[in-house]
Amino acid sequence: MPATDNNTFGIAATFRTAPDVYHACEKVRDAGYTRWDSYTPFPIHGIHHAMGLKRSKVPIFTFLGGVTGFLTGLSIVAYMNFNYPLIVGGKPYFSPVFPFPIFYELTILLAAFGTLGGMFILNRLPRHHHPLFDYEPFLKTSDDTFMIVIESTDPTFNEDKVRAVLGEAGGEDISIIQAED
Amino acid sequence: MSEASTKSCCSSDSSCCGAANTIAKLLLPIGLVGLGLAVLGLILGLVNHDARPVISWLLGLAFWLTVLLGSLFMVLLFNLFDAGWAVIARRQLEHLIGGFRWVALLFVPLLAITWFYSDPGILWKWMNPDHMLPSGHTVSHDVLYESKAIFLNRFSFTLQAFIFFGAFIFFAEMLRKHSFAMDRDGDTAHVSAMRKLSALGIFVCALSLTFAAINWFMSLEYHWFSTMYGVWFFAGSMRSAIAVLLIILYFQSTKGSLKGIHNESHNYLLGCMALAFTVFWAYISFSQYFLIYQANIPEETFWYQIRHVNVDGSTNSWWWVGLCLIFFHFLVPFLFLLFYKTKVKVKLILFVAIWILVFHLVDLYFNILPSKIAPADNILNYDVRQFSVTFWDLSMIVGVGGIVLWAYRKSLSKNSPIPLRDPRVNESIHCHE
Repeated sequence: MPATDNNTFGIAATFRTAPDVYHACEKVRDAGYTRWDSYTPFPIHGIHHAMGLKRSKVPIFTFLGGVTGFLTGLSIVAYMNFNYPLIVGGKPYFSPVFPFPIFYELTILLAAFGTLGGMFILNRLPRHHHPLFDYEPFLKTSDDTFMIVIESTDPTFNEDKVRAVLGEAGGEDISIIQAED
Repeated sequence: MSEASTKSCCSSDSSCCGAANTIAKLLLPIGLVGLGLAVLGLILGLVNHDARPVISWLLGLAFWLTVLLGSLFMVLLFNLFDAGWAVIARRQLEHLIGGFRWVALLFVPLLAITWFYSDPGILWKWMNPDHMLPSGHTVSHDVLYESKAIFLNRFSFTLQAFIFFGAFIFFAEMLRKHSFAMDRDGDTAHVSAMRKLSALGIFVCALSLTFAAINWFMSLEYHWFSTMYGVWFFAGSMRSAIAVLLIILYFQSTKGSLKGIHNESHNYLLGCMALAFTVFWAYISFSQYFLIYQANIPEETFWYQIRHVNVDGSTNSWWWVGLCLIFFHFLVPFLFLLFYKTKVKVKLILFVAIWILVFHLVDLYFNILPSKIAPADNILNYDVRQFSVTFWDLSMIVGVGGIVLWAYRKSLSKNSPIPLRDPRVNESIHCHE
């Protein structure tokens, strides 16, 4: 029997209490897995430390969006005022003062787009279905069950080892989740 | 945990290390020496008919007044919105706003000058009807003054000063009283009492702050019109108060009684507020400039003109101060505070707080100091008072600072550094970003 077949999404283990899943997360993190997640019915403070999660990369997208917006506004105003020069209210053709609302609004608009787009890209959205939705016990993670799923795309994924790690961490009902056909 | 807070509270008075205690004991002498020097400057200024040392008095007072006003507004806001995370920070501010009465007392000499000094307009030139304006006539023949005289007159000015300081002191002391009383009796009725007080106080104090800013600072150039000035003053107050709070919390959490209680989540949230008010200050300051620039009306533009060029068109010192404000009071703190690490790393947030305080002072210089001075021999001409930092400025800033911080320490030694029986204190200790 092969350790993993191509149709495996990952291996899931359920936990009964929040401290259980918290400490299990620490063990999975220390075992060196990178492609895995924990599922809990409510936010658990500090679980991102237990999981070893790094800061989100969304701010980079926000910043790039903002800079793009600012430069776009700057170019729009500069191009239009020099391409079609009009004296309005005795103001110079170009100054950072009078068109500042344009720079500023475009900065905010594109920073917001960058944030939204960055969030979609980093979460690999949109996605209409997920293999976990077919796994009946997963539905209880929105009620009273905690779950850790280590995905088969993890570089060090090995079915027996994953089972051992999750078992040692106190996981119950350790089972294979099938990927979509 | 409540055990942790009780333990640190019990040892609060004695746990401060030696150096902190020495500084605490020195605060009152430092304050008194600073004030003594500032009084000397004030007297010299009055004897020599030199306005600059009198402005030093106003400037030093303005700096700490903004800190206290920002603190008062934060206490009002935290009470009004029942902020859980901020309970510990709020207590530090409650200790701080105990200094209001001293600042009010130090404002009295300025009022006395307007009533008893031979040139009542040495600071606020509209107070003296015989004051010669650059336009070649006196204040009493000035059309703009005549229209504004209903509001800008000595009686209304004095009355308003009493009302405004009365309002600030009333709300500060009432909120302090309820909050400290809750430490003793644990009665949660104080919470709703404080919220009701804050609901009223936020309106009264907002109006008082706005008109105080107009009376005391904007009317230095009484020809000017700006609808943004009060909001600018509020923005500056909040920025300086958040900066002072961060500095206080740094010392309290490393050397004082908040060790292990004040954590990086609090710093993060206060850092977010510092970022928000940095943007707000820039927005308000720019809007004021932008609207005046667009409308291009001489009664308004002159205010920025004297902050850019002299009467002969040469660039003056305020141009550089103005640029400094854009880049160092807005851009640097803004970019710095954007980063998550800045907000949680104690040393970094301390650096930003000190930076903001320094440039808040520069901002006050920029708003208070420049003025048209009519040379006695040459009508239809004027000089602009240039940027300078004098010894009297520094002694007043240090003097008032010593008194305000001494009042903070005094309040801290009498009352707990943590509101132990506040229903939300646990939430604040376990606050998570």
